[in-house]
Amino acid sequence: MRRERGLDETVRRFLDRSLSVNVATSDHDGRPLVARAVAARVSPGISPDGERLTVLIDGRANAVLVAAVAATGRLAVVFTEPSTHRSIQIKDDGATVAAPTVDESALPGPYIDGFIAELAGMGFTEAFVRAVMAFDPADLVALHLEPADVFDQTPGPRAGERIPA
Amino acid sequence: MSGPLPRPLPRPLPHDALTLDAIRTCLEGVIPGTIATADAVGTPNVSQLSQVHYVDPGHIALSYQFFNKTRANILANPDAQLEVIDPATGAQYRLRLAYLRTETEGPLFESMKAKLSGIASHVGMAEVFRLRGADLFRVVAIEAVPGGAPLPAPVRPRSLLSAVRRACEGLRGAADLSDLLDRAVAALRDLFGVEHALILLPDAASGRLFTVAALGYEASGRGSGIGWEVAPGDGVIGVAARERVPIRITHMTTDVAYSMAMREGTAAGIAHEIPFPGLDRPHSQLAVPILASSGACGDLAGVLFVESAQEMRFTYDDEDALATLAAQLGALMRGLPPAHGAEAEEMPAPAVAPPAVGTPITVRHYAGDDSVFLDHDYLIKGVAGAILWKLVRDHTALGRTDFTNRELRLAPDIPLPDFAENLEARLILLQRRLADRCGCLRIEKTGRGRFRLLVEKPLRLEEMQ
Repeated sequence: MRRERGLDETVRRFLDRSLSVNVATSDHDGRPLVARAVAARVSPGISPDGERLTVLIDGRANAVLVAAVAATGRLAVVFTEPSTHRSIQIKDDGATVAAPTVDESALPGPYIDGFIAELAGMGFTEAFVRAVMAFDPADLVALHLEPADVFDQTPGPRAGERIPA
Repeated sequence: MSGPLPRPLPRPLPHDALTLDAIRTCLEGVIPGTIATADAVGTPNVSQLSQVHYVDPGHIALSYQFFNKTRANILANPDAQLEVIDPATGAQYRLRLAYLRTETEGPLFESMKAKLSGIASHVGMAEVFRLRGADLFRVVAIEAVPGGAPLPAPVRPRSLLSAVRRACEGLRGAADLSDLLDRAVAALRDLFGVEHALILLPDAASGRLFTVAALGYEASGRGSGIGWEVAPGDGVIGVAARERVPIRITHMTTDVAYSMAMREGTAAGIAHEIPFPGLDRPHSQLAVPILASSGACGDLAGVLFVESAQEMRFTYDDEDALATLAAQLGALMRGLPPAHGAEAEEMPAPAVAPPAVGTPITVRHYAGDDSVFLDHDYLIKGVAGAILWKLVRDHTALGRTDFTNRELRLAPDIPLPDFAENLEARLILLQRRLADRCGCLRIEKTGRGRFRLLVEKPLRLEEMQ
């Protein structure tokens, strides 16, 4: 799956805001597993023109999924803007699991604040969004991937089309 | 469902295992679900789902509208996991699913298609919402996600089970169809807290539905609701009637936003909103067919419709409750004594109404469609218009005020289909339209199969060709 790295500029701009972030992996038996993430960030990657995507997740509530990512490296992340349903899916088969850095641990706060602002226009209260996104900071886990494949996932006839780098 | 379902005997679940019924509020479409699938080599895919269709306590279905990665994966590997969120508390659940098959006909397919068309007909999106199939999944296990910090469940303002019981008790003993309809509307208002409701009956000839009982539309500026018409297949009422399934829309803004996102990816033409009887800006609607065993319109006896300006006003439980009420209503409508069965040949005591005085009312009849206007204001058309025209002619020519259903049924100038309930329904419509529009010309029931025309002002008849 490893191909040319680098995110399209439109995709990079889309990801530079608070979105609904959901992840999936599969275990060694190919059983799919799903979880909701609490924050994400795109940062410069190891290769000069590549990026690294970091997704933060409640490792206690999603222990089985985190173990499967660590074991298989498979990870799919879908980013959705609730007000428009616009969605982007990013996949990698070399994902890694790590304890979050201090820097990464600070991401969910402002990310969730932004998500609350996005959902407020759709009638969801701050209390509700916080109830869904709540986690114990001690349980936070970072999933890292290098975007190998990027797909347009917006519902409709073009869902699933690959977005070239 | 198409074809026999080779279903193993269900393993008995522990008595405290979470059931799909207990969490189906998560399937209301308020918050998209998220599904994980994997292809044959294990590459995962994650996708958000606007609609997860509750089928029964052991199954859900997903709409197959476009061939996407989720669909390719389940065909290769039937295992899937779905995460859903309770829109009231924020509690999250994961469902382990096993894909069974795709249905392209039958009740499940029709009900999903009907819901999609119900949404689509509001925004002119019928083409985009073409349903190719209903992907049926068995729910293997349900797990409460041990994360988040769910809010306490809100206390519901009423018990639906109690409301259903009392509403069904209240319907019993109704004297006739008009009384039965009034009791049903009163039950919706008093027991279910419904603010806007319509009961529509089908026109045997055209298949259109017309409103004979209404609640809460006085402020609409378009009359009380009596006499509003819906074409079969039009809006949630028309689709519920045509497909004979309840249609419920809980979150109009989400549904419309979703349809717009889909439309941007297609060459669909200009979305034009189809005018619809009822509230201008409804956010929740529920139409439940009232089924009877016979009749010229198949087994459809009517449609019970409720709506609200509030989102999420009607839940799965409300749908179950009103479907139960509609079933009772249908059974009681079938069991009503036929209005003509006990029609007495002798007339009741003559009317003692005061003589008609004052400025005459002009009653104008257009033969083409039997439409009737009172002083240039449209009143009614069709069979009910023909009935009124006969009544006012007999009244002015012969001085008659008392009539029987039987003579109307036999009258050659009233184009009544051979369908007994239809006359009763038309008389209810006429009576209520007159009550709405003009206090000086009314119809009053005087006994089973008998009624009286009350005329307080002189009538001037004009026949137009």
